[in-house]
Amino acid sequence: MNIETQHHDNDSAGLVLSGRFDAFETDAFRATIDPLLASESTAKVRVTMADVNFIDSSGLAELVRSMKRAREAGGDIELHNPSDPVRVILELTRLDLAFTITSAE
Amino acid sequence: MTAPTSSSTYRSWADTPNTGPIAWSVVIPTYNESERVVPTIGAIAAHLSSLGSPWELIVADDGSTDDTVEVLNALGLANLQVLVAEQNGGKGSAVRRGVLAAQGDVILFADADQSTPIEQFASLLSCIEGGADVAIGSRAAAGAHVSNKSMARKVFSKGLNLLVRFGFGVHHADTQCGFKMFTTTAGRQLFQRQLIDQFSFDLEILYLAKKFGMRVDEVPVEWIDAPGSTVDPAKVAVEFLKDMAVIRWNDLRGRYRRDNR
Repeated sequence: MNIETQHHDNDSAGLVLSGRFDAFETDAFRATIDPLLASESTAKVRVTMADVNFIDSSGLAELVRSMKRAREAGGDIELHNPSDPVRVILELTRLDLAFTITSAE
Repeated sequence: MTAPTSSSTYRSWADTPNTGPIAWSVVIPTYNESERVVPTIGAIAAHLSSLGSPWELIVADDGSTDDTVEVLNALGLANLQVLVAEQNGGKGSAVRRGVLAAQGDVILFADADQSTPIEQFASLLSCIEGGADVAIGSRAAAGAHVSNKSMARKVFSKGLNLLVRFGFGVHHADTQCGFKMFTTTAGRQLFQRQLIDQFSFDLEILYLAKKFGMRVDEVPVEWIDAPGSTVDPAKVAVEFLKDMAVIRWNDLRGRYRRDNR
């Protein structure tokens, strides 16, 4: 999986993911998102998943961990433009009800 | 804000049972796969629904002792059939039950871990549409792309393949990839005669396909090793050797004759 970091306005940052988000990728994801979540200036992290073709249970668990950490700090992570397979996987696991999911404006 | 949950083609597949002819059946064998199978179903459902032909999904559970069956039934998918076994009978027995229950014109058997991404479906289907009876995904054919496979598994696979080629006369570069497609006719002929219930059932199926003069196309695929594999190479190697002898013995005794079932 490829992970690209983007900086948005004052209180938000973004990650753009592409490829397969599975157990082999969780360490790299955590190493990238945790510093953003730890930053006092970042309230929200947008994770763009338009080009993620598969996410397994380890990837889902990592997203949930990140979401909890962000919310504990008063922020959130937002799943942006998930691909069709990711959308369906979120729906089947009921995680679509837990995450903030946004589409392209 | 919550965005729409999925495309309309997936929604229709998820909510409305098939009533007419079914083009494709996908068979997934499971054994204690409650964590891994749902994302795989999601990926398969999203992809195949987008292709526009009627299809069904059959999960053939093999006597799971975790909550795999409960998890599957709770999905509430209109075109998902869950086959339950009272006891663990082996992956080969699960795939056989799934293939023999399938109603599609074409049957794909795919492992529960999405190690061969469903996007490879079209490559195998084009072989079937071009006249093949069987199309097999291959991690060893020229053009295949394999990721994260451990050295132990590479050596194990290579060793098995040499045994199969020189000891068995089945000349495919990869007999064990969990991504194989059959015409309904070929699938029924093969799986009605399949006697091996364990890991080496793939080998028996390919041995039978050769014996029956079927056209088998080997298709290079992308394959990503999925963490959490339950395959024990040493144990499987011993079983594989034993089953090669069993298959030969079954053949000598005439147990694979076409008029036998």
